[in-house]
Order: sequence, then structure tokens, then C-alpha cells
Amino acid sequence: VRQIRALMSRITGLFAGRRADDDLREELQAHLEMETAENIRRGMSPEEARRQALLASGGLTQAAESVRDQRGLPWIEELVRDLTVGFRSLRRMPGFSVAVILTLALGIGANTAMFTVLRGTLLRPLPNRDGNRLVYLRQSATATQQNNTLFSVPEVADYRAASHTLAQIAEYSAMTFTMADSDGTPSHVQAGIVSGNYFDVMGLDAVIGRVTNRADDGPTAAPVTVLSFPFWIQHFGGDRRVVGRTLRVNDKLTTIVGVAEAAPLYPQATDVFVNMVTSPHHLGATMVTNRSHRMTEMFARLKPGVSVDDARRDADRIASIAHRDHPESYPTGAHYAVSIAPLKQAINERATLTFWLLMGAAGFVLLIACANVANLTLMRGVGRQREMLVRSALGASRWRLRRLLLTENLTLSLLGGALGVLVAFAGLKLLVAFAAQLTPRANEIRVDGLVLAVGLATSVAAAIALSFVARLNGNPNSSVLVGGGRRSTLGRGGQRFQRTLVIAQIAVCMVLLTGAGLLVRTLGKLQSVETGVRADHALVMDLPVTGSLETVFRNAAANLAMYERMRDRVASLPGVRVASLAFAAPLRKTIIDFDIKADGFPTNPGDPPPHAQLKTVDPNFFAAAGIPLLEGRGMASTDRDSAPIAVVLNRSLATRLFGDRDPVGQRVAWTGEILKVFGPGAGEWRTVVGVVGDTREDGLDNQPTATMYQSFAQGPIIGATLVVRTTQDPLALASPISRIVREVNPVQIIEHVQTLEQIRDETVAPRRLNALFIVSFGLLALLIAMVGIAGVLAFSVSSRTAEIGIRMSFGADAARVRRMVLGEGGVLLGLGVFAGLAGALAVSRLLTGLLFGVTAHDPVTLGLVALALVGVGLAACWLPAAKAARVDPSVALRAE
Amino acid sequence: MGDKLDVQQGTLALMILKTLDLLGPLHGYGIARRIEETSKNRLSLNYGTLYPALLKLEQEGYVSAEWSQSENNRRAKFYALTPAGRKQLARETREWQATADLIAAFLTPRRETK
Repeated sequence: VRQIRALMSRITGLFAGRRADDDLREELQAHLEMETAENIRRGMSPEEARRQALLASGGLTQAAESVRDQRGLPWIEELVRDLTVGFRSLRRMPGFSVAVILTLALGIGANTAMFTVLRGTLLRPLPNRDGNRLVYLRQSATATQQNNTLFSVPEVADYRAASHTLAQIAEYSAMTFTMADSDGTPSHVQAGIVSGNYFDVMGLDAVIGRVTNRADDGPTAAPVTVLSFPFWIQHFGGDRRVVGRTLRVNDKLTTIVGVAEAAPLYPQATDVFVNMVTSPHHLGATMVTNRSHRMTEMFARLKPGVSVDDARRDADRIASIAHRDHPESYPTGAHYAVSIAPLKQAINERATLTFWLLMGAAGFVLLIACANVANLTLMRGVGRQREMLVRSALGASRWRLRRLLLTENLTLSLLGGALGVLVAFAGLKLLVAFAAQLTPRANEIRVDGLVLAVGLATSVAAAIALSFVARLNGNPNSSVLVGGGRRSTLGRGGQRFQRTLVIAQIAVCMVLLTGAGLLVRTLGKLQSVETGVRADHALVMDLPVTGSLETVFRNAAANLAMYERMRDRVASLPGVRVASLAFAAPLRKTIIDFDIKADGFPTNPGDPPPHAQLKTVDPNFFAAAGIPLLEGRGMASTDRDSAPIAVVLNRSLATRLFGDRDPVGQRVAWTGEILKVFGPGAGEWRTVVGVVGDTREDGLDNQPTATMYQSFAQGPIIGATLVVRTTQDPLALASPISRIVREVNPVQIIEHVQTLEQIRDETVAPRRLNALFIVSFGLLALLIAMVGIAGVLAFSVSSRTAEIGIRMSFGADAARVRRMVLGEGGVLLGLGVFAGLAGALAVSRLLTGLLFGVTAHDPVTLGLVALALVGVGLAACWLPAAKAARVDPSVALRAE
Repeated sequence: MGDKLDVQQGTLALMILKTLDLLGPLHGYGIARRIEETSKNRLSLNYGTLYPALLKLEQEGYVSAEWSQSENNRRAKFYALTPAGRKQLARETREWQATADLIAAFLTPRRETK
């Protein structure tokens, strides 16, 4: 307490200022006079008395100074003084200061921004209660390229009954629901059909009202809706009175019971959570008893003390029992397997590698920036040797000089850091938009205290590192002072250090640019992949059906007639070449896929069964989408009603089923457990009438998707996509086409109005942004490194002016001098590129997961990057080289 | 002056407190005189030692300071012991005594037996 009290009074003492000084002077003066008077009383002469008194005092000024030190906090006052001095000396060198501040701002800005993203998405714990105990279960059938088949209700029951490691298991099933607004206008919402314990397992509470609980399970519960936080804000404006209101979803009247607290929405951006009874299908016999009817995601909470690895082993055990007891649901060769990942990891699956990579790239940029600033500081240190010597001759201690440098560097790096944080703020919006494509946690990204603290710490660390780069020569007898200070060069060690810095910069640059190059080449490769459609001049829009599945099946005939009327009226619109109907747009996967068998072509036992998606298309579709007919015929207008169902295969599927035999006229059928869902007749033999070209529904970076086409008119009519080939800009036709659709059905939902080019770009877009970031970091690094090498050469030239002058007077011409300097730069570049090559080979392997069509060691990329780096580097060296070549020998020699 | 001692850090505060305890409120000059006399002039206090120590004691709340008239009608700053200062004096005296005994015990020559 005493110390605190003393500290407080010292802090107030900082501001005591003049009044306290006057007080002190008067007190000391009084002391002096009393002592003088006493001396006189002892018989001294007045002069002698005063002299003795002064002698005994030990100096009034010194005493005043020590009292002042005791009064305030001297180091703060000195810091302020140092900062003032530092600031003043920086203002005398605006060029240097601006260069350093900008370089550091870019480096620190890039790092602060990336750290903000990293912290918001990957580092911060999930907002869910005990979020690190949450896991996500995934079933996959790798051999048939289904990386997430989801789970069936019987499978969920297996885990509930037999798991030793999972405390609780929640079910979540994603569906698109039709929501009727108060005036009856339908719109689509993303619904999660959840078990009553879902929120309990996920560790989420209600913001208002309540979340679901066990009482909401089963066929007798009342239908209830829990709004997701973002949907509550967007759709209801955060109105607290929504609780208790009714909401009509898929023709079911539900009661809104509450709003769930904000948390990452996974696996989809859920608008409403409803209980099972809201979706009759989810309590139907097929859903509940069919082991192959997989529609459910499993979230679970680990038991206390259980590791994810334990849970994995446990799940493997349960899965293998299921595979043994129910072989019909797990065809051999399909390689069914269950994997378990911490929920946080599952959520950030697509983001993790990219974000760490970008963080690494940003770190490299900061490294290069610091190297550059170190170089600048070194060079300036040479110019300041004289100043430092004068200061030390005047009695400044080494520590004092070091501190002066430190405060100067601190001023620079704090200014740089502040500017950098501003840069980060400015770039954050872009970064969040980018992150949103990769993780549902993007909305949690924000600049907080820790982020700012890291920015500050980075700045301070940079300043401290830089202060120890400049070598202090504490010997005031140094020749620099005596010799009049004309010499301005670094010692041998300093030069070597400087060169090492430049080589390191170029090497790091090489690594970054190689990464950027590989990603750019990946983009190029992706863009040249054949999609299988003609993407130009094509517009697509989804026209979904509304209501529950039962309603949809009842209204099938009416819906078909409505869709065909829409299509025919759109076809007569000027600018429309072909209008067609399909279920699922070209390049988009449908929700229906089956195992397939071919009559007379059995698959080898042990091979995975052929698997294909079903698309229904009308006779105009292949022309509208630009998919070529390879054999037989396409869909015909006669393929409707009770005509035998005709099947068109795409080439991949035809080859898979029939090898090189002619597929036309062969018979195929759907097969597998899943058929039970679709009732009798779904598994009958159908005749192949034609073969069309492949398309890539799984993204450009995947194999073509095996597809079986049936006639749109022969159903099932569970929605439609209008595919229109145009003679003009397709987006310009979006509104006239929408108008026609609404004339036919005023409440028709219109979704995903896009050109085929936009759909194609969806695979490429996140990669393009990713590449854009790495390329910008690379270019930033390149720019900084080039300034670095040019600066070092310019410095070397200016300190060798005399040597160059001598060489020229001995007959070296301008070209030769230029070559000499370029050669000097070339050696640095060469060494840097060589070191960078080794680094790139080591680091680029990390990129493998993000590459397509190129290997991590792609020699073309490495070669091009090396060439470009040397080219740009030599161009940067040209300036100092040209300056050297312009040296006038007579002037240069006289200057010495 | 060569035989004069420099006052040790820490002991000065104790001397000041004791002086104020014995003589009541006193100005800086009076404190210095008293300490020098008590030490039989073996100690000499220059201002740069005395006044920072006084300020420190004031900051710690052990003494209070106030301007007033001296015996020969001169304006001077008088320092007085506070109750906290009195307690501190007692504590420091005790500690100092203990330390002195300890040091004395160490410095007293004593033959060790094998």
C-alpha cells in the first residue's frame, strides 16, 4: 500500500512542474541562509560564511535535480524526451522515414489482417458450451466417390445403443422448406429437422423463448419452430414478439417457440430449426426403418475423458457390426466407412489449409519488410556514425545511445503498425467476404483487443530487432571523427550482413512467388477444363415446387402443365433461341442418385456398384445446354405419359456399364435398397435410346459425373429449372423471363438466376480469391525486395564512387562499369534464387491440396518464377548501375 | 573532510524519523544540523542527499511538510512525524537493532574447535 501511495504521489509529481520547483528553490535557499547565518554567528566573515555554506550544500542545482528525480518518474520523462528527439531526427529524414513506415505498415497490416481472420475462424473456441467436446460424424463410400452419404435413422440408432464414447447424439436433417408469408406469398427457407436434444447436445441456449427439448420428439408432439439468430434478425428484424406466433412451413402450421443463440451454422446456413413431426416424411416408415435411406447428419458430444481417437475406434467397431449384420446396405467394394472429426475442424475443413497458408505468406512478407528496414537502418547508421560519435564524446553512455536508437525505431514501427492496422481494417471486409466462401465462422471475424495487442507486439518486436542491427561504435577516438567524416561505408561484416539480408529477401520472394505461380497455373488448368456444356449465352433459373412432398406428388400433372406453359411462352420471347425444362441445372448435381445395373453386364463381385445421378430433361434441354448428342437420339416429345420410359446416358456412365459395346438398345435399371422409397416400378428395366457428352457436376477439379437422363414429362415432377439459350446477353433476359413466369403463376418462387458461366465459375471463384491473395502477397514481397536490392546496390555504388572513378580513369568504359554493378546484383540475385528454389521445393508440398493439374514441384512454374525474379531483379539493379556508369572520374577522384 | 562518512542508503530515513521524534517539527537545516551533531560531525549531509530523502518520506506518508516561521522569523518548511511515521520508526528501530546484533555476532572473533 505504501508503494502504491508513493507511486501515486510520484505520478502526480510528474505534473507538479513549476510551482513545486519554486517551492524547492525557496526551501534550499532558506537552508543556505540559515547555515550562512550560523557560520557568521561562529565568527566567519559574511563572504566566507556563504562560501562554506555553499561548499557544504554539494551544489544547489544538483540537489534540485535529484529531488526532481525523486519527485516524478524519471524514466517516463526521459522516454518523452527521447521520443521528441527521435521524432525530430526522423522529420529531418522524411524519405527514409516514409520508406520504413510504409514498408512496415504493409508487413504489419498483412499480418494483422490475416491474424484477425485466423483468430476469428480457426483459433477462437466455438461459441457453443464446451464446444471442444463436440464432434461431427461422417459416413462415406469412397469407392463410389460419395464423401458424405449421411446416416439413416437405423444407423443413428446403432450409435445411440452401442457407443461407449459418445455421451449424446443429435440428429439434423437438412431440407428446403416452403414458407408462406402472412399474405400467403411463398418463399424458400433452409430448414434443419432436428431431434429434441439437438440444442442440448450442441450446447446452445435460447436468446428468447426456448429451444427444442425431448418433449418435442415423436409423432404426437406439436410442430414447433426455433429461428436461427441471423434469420430472426434478417426476416423478423429482431422482433422479440415473434415467440408464440405461428409459421406455415411446407403446409404445416408450426409455433415459433424461440430464437437460438448465434453459433456457426453447419452443415448449411439454417434459417429455421423444426422438430421431426413438422416433416411427415421424417416420421414415415421408410425414413425410420430403411437402413439405406440416409438423410441425417450426426452431431455428438464426447463423454468426459474420452479422446477423439477413442471415439474413432468405437465408431469403427459399431460400423463393422452393421456391415456384418446388414450387408445389403453396404455393398462390398463401395468401401463404406465412418470418420469422426472435432466439430470445429469439420466446420473449418475447407478453410484451414488456405488460411494458414495465407498467414504464412503474410509472415514472409513481414520478414522481407523487416529485412528491408534493417538494410535501410544499416545504411542510415553509416551516415549517422558521426552523430553517434559526437554524442558519445559528449558523454552519452552506450546504453543511452542504444535507447535513442530504440525510441527512434519504436516511433517508426509504431507509426508503421498503426498505419498497418488501418490497412488491415480497410482490407477486412474483403477478407471476410473471402472467408465466408470457406467457413461459416466468417461472421465471427472481428478486430478485438488481442488482435490489436498482437499488432502492437509485432511493432515493438520489430523495433527492438532493428535497434540491435545498427552496430554502435563507442570509441570516440575513431578515425571517423578525426578524419572529418567523409568516409561513408560499412565495415566488411556489415556489408556481408547486408548482402545476406538481400539474398534472404530474394529467397523468401522466390518461395512466395512459386506458391502464387502454382495457384495461378491451377486456375489456368481449371479454366481450360471442358465443362461439357456451352457456358456462353445460357441463362438458368430454378422454379421450385412448393409444399410438402405429398402435395407435390398430388399436383404433379398440374405442375407439369404449368412448367410447360412457362417454357413455351418464354420460347417465343425475342432474344431466346431455345427454352427448355430440366430438373437440376446443367453443372448442378440433382438430389437423386442411385446404384445402377445393366442387363447382361454384371459387375465383378468386389467392385463398387455403378452409381449415377438422375436428371430429368425435356426434348430441348441438350440443345439449350449445349451438350452434344453422341449416339442414338436425345429426348423426344413422345417420351411422355404412358410411353415406355426412355433413358439417355452420358458417356462416362455408358462406358462404365457397357465398356466399348454399343449402349443403344441395352437395358438398365435402378437398384439397391433405396428403391423401396420410390415404390413398385422404380426398379424396372428401361431401354437406352442415346448417349450424350459428359458434364462435370462435381466441380471442374473432379471427374465427370455419371448421369442418367430421363424425360422431364415422365417425372417425378419435384421442381424445375428453366434453361434458356439466348442470342444476346443472357442476364438482360432475366427480368422479362421472370415476368412471364409470374404471369403464369403469380406466386412462383424464382431462385438462383444465373448464367451457365457463373455456375461454372463457382468451382473456380474461391480458388481465384485465394490465388489473388497469395499473388498480391508475392507481388508485395517482390516490390519490397526489389527496393531492397536496388537500395543496397545504390549504397554500394555511392560508397565506391572513388574506386569506380579510378577504374574509369584506367580505361574502363561506361558499359563495363554498368556490367560490373549489374554483375554484383546478379550474384545476389543468383544466390537468392538458388536458396529460394530449395525453399520452394520444401514448402510447396504444403500446397498440394490446393493444386489441380500441376504438381507441387512443377518445373515450368519454378523455371518461370526464377526467370521472372532474375529479370525484375536486374531491372531494379539497372538504376544504380546506370548511376555508376555516369560517374565522372575527375569529379569522383577530386571528391576524395 | 577525508574522514567523513557518506551516509548509507536506508539509514538516513531512520535518522530523520528519530530526529523528528525527539525534537518535534523541524526544518531541513535543523534536521541536517542535528544529524551532523549527533554523529559528532563524522557525517555530512549535502542537500542532494537530504532533500530527496525528505521528499521520499513525505511521499510515503511518514512525514508531513508545511511552511511556517522559524525561531528567528524566517520562512521555512517544517517537517513533522505522522502517526504512520511513528509506527514506521518503531518498526525500523526494531529491525535495525536485530540486524546490528546479527552483524555484531558475525564480526566478533571466535575460535572454532575441531
